[in-house]
Amino acid sequence: MKVLDIKNVFKIYDESEIKVHAVNGVTLEFQEAEFAAIVGPSGSGKTTLLNLIGGLDTPTSGEIIIDGTNLAKLKSSELIDFRLRNIGFVFQAYNLIPVLTAKENVEFIMSLQKWSKEDRDERTFELLKSVGLGERINSRPSKLSGGQQQRVAVARALASRPKFVLADEPTANLDSRSSTTLLEIMEKLNVEEKITFIFSTHDARVVKMARRIITLEDGKVVSDEPGK
Amino acid sequence: MIWKTAWKNVWRNRVRSLVVISSVTIGIFAGVFSVALMNGMIEQRVDDALNEEISDIQITDRNFRLSNDPKLIIKEPSKVLSIVHSVNGVEATVERTVITGMANTALKSTGVQITGIDPQKEKKVFTLYKKIIPGTGGYFDDESEHNPIMIGEDLAKELGIIRYYVDTAKIRVLRQEGVPGEITDKLNPVLGMRFTGEKQFVRKMNSIYSAKESKKYGQLIKKAAWTYRKNSRMTLTFLDRNNNQVGAMFRITGIYDIANSVFEKSMVFIRNSDLRRLTSLPDSACHEIIVKITDIEQTVPMTNTLASKLPGEEVLSWKKLQPDLAMMTDMVQQFYLIFGIIILAALAFGIVNTMLMVVLERTKEIGMLTAIGMNKKKVFSMIMLESVFLSIIGGIAGMIVSYIIVRLTAHTGIDLSRYAEGFAALGYSADIYPTITAGFFGIVTVLIIITGILSSIYPAMKALKLNPVEAIRTE
Repeated sequence: MKVLDIKNVFKIYDESEIKVHAVNGVTLEFQEAEFAAIVGPSGSGKTTLLNLIGGLDTPTSGEIIIDGTNLAKLKSSELIDFRLRNIGFVFQAYNLIPVLTAKENVEFIMSLQKWSKEDRDERTFELLKSVGLGERINSRPSKLSGGQQQRVAVARALASRPKFVLADEPTANLDSRSSTTLLEIMEKLNVEEKITFIFSTHDARVVKMARRIITLEDGKVVSDEPGK
Repeated sequence: MIWKTAWKNVWRNRVRSLVVISSVTIGIFAGVFSVALMNGMIEQRVDDALNEEISDIQITDRNFRLSNDPKLIIKEPSKVLSIVHSVNGVEATVERTVITGMANTALKSTGVQITGIDPQKEKKVFTLYKKIIPGTGGYFDDESEHNPIMIGEDLAKELGIIRYYVDTAKIRVLRQEGVPGEITDKLNPVLGMRFTGEKQFVRKMNSIYSAKESKKYGQLIKKAAWTYRKNSRMTLTFLDRNNNQVGAMFRITGIYDIANSVFEKSMVFIRNSDLRRLTSLPDSACHEIIVKITDIEQTVPMTNTLASKLPGEEVLSWKKLQPDLAMMTDMVQQFYLIFGIIILAALAFGIVNTMLMVVLERTKEIGMLTAIGMNKKKVFSMIMLESVFLSIIGGIAGMIVSYIIVRLTAHTGIDLSRYAEGFAALGYSADIYPTITAGFFGIVTVLIIITGILSSIYPAMKALKLNPVEAIRTE
């Protein structure tokens, strides 16, 4: 089942005299439960493309359709609500709420969706257990390692069962062992939860674990091929 | 979850939050305590005025207050009294005869208002009988006494009835009270000297003692030197109802001491029967009927009711009799409001500043929250709640501190006797007992919450303007 349809999307920055085509006519489709990596050198447009897909930025032209909804048709407030219900985010710098525990960080998004306390608790324990942090649910981010924090971030992204998870350079701040562990967890959840993962990276070890590899150069898709 | 997060965010930077909370606490305490202090002063002044000086409502002939003509007595006072007592809420009444005249001693003369009273009936309306200085006599206790008079302490000082005098017996008393020998020795040059006025005595003491010694022992020495010869005499002169000058000798059987110096200097009290006799007024004549009511809050409606039932007389409430006092009680409400707004505005600026810092520091986090789907209303609520929490914690702490201090000082009083002369000139007591109502705390709580909400608007608006992509990118 198609969850994401990107049709001829352009993102052009023309703040200076020279126009910059950050995303230059990208057309892609993603099916349910894909595990895809977007690769490419710095400045190739990976982050911009993820921002466009996540509705954090608007394309100059083209359409992004998520599960039948054209993002361009949504008002700002509707877009925020749409993101809440359909898209999970994992950021390079983890971006957890430092004053909340691992459990509270994960359940935060569910509370925004007004889940009941019982449902929240059940889902939070299930996810934190899946990412290997069943024993650290009451730890604050400052008490967790970088890899552990990023695993909490993955659990948070999956908490409300989104259509897909976008992860921008999720392993950029992690050592190789933590990176591998994180990717293994992401892949396991991808299979278990049947949720599409799209992540950008330029780490060759991470790329190897993707089942689909999309390569960007100068904002264009130069290759789109199956991974391992 | 928003509440929980906002609460935890308050304690994210403990030092900064505690500084803000402390400033709110101090601000609220300063505001509440100042109001309690003013309340205490004004309530005390109103209580004193009503219990010692004028009571709640006064009834006179329509023209009496304009001319002070002794002939303008209340016609048919017994009928007026029965009408007054038929109105619900009247606690007690008393009739007075009033005349202006001169009080004279061998040393000085001064203008006074001579009030004729029925001592026993007066006790039901006024508490002046409790204010007699011990050792100066009593409150018209001896009915067989010829022409007794009760005067104020300040008038007694002015007329030289109270004198300041130091002898060896008084020095002994001072030594017993712990005044050192080197201090009492300095009094040797004034032994046996009589000072007819307080000012002269104080001036002399200031020339003998250093400022430090005066501050420490001045009051004790003044108190010891205070001398009153019991049953001193004075004459009163005034015009009778036929405009003939009348004079009579009176024996001082009591000296009263109240906070109001002007009242003390100008009001002397004699028996109604003596004043009627001397002014040739009929036996039941009176110029004023004073009405004490059960509920002071009902003063205005009660006055209106009595005025409608007594169209021939002038019926005035204490608010009309002492408009300065009424203005003070009304004006103080406006003053509290202005004072409150100034304090809360100052606190609001502090909170706005802190919350702006909070938003600036958390740009990335707020951007992340918007990215993952926290809508603007919830971001706004979270910032607002943090601001309200800061205000409420500080506000509650301020109110608790205020409550404790007000309770303590309401019990012990605040002694401002250093400024007693100035206070007395305005009619205020130098012992202030702060008071505050539960309702006032309620109003302060609501105002603090409003301040918290208003202070959060600008920082929260700033947070809403953040672009999530740029915010997340911020280092």
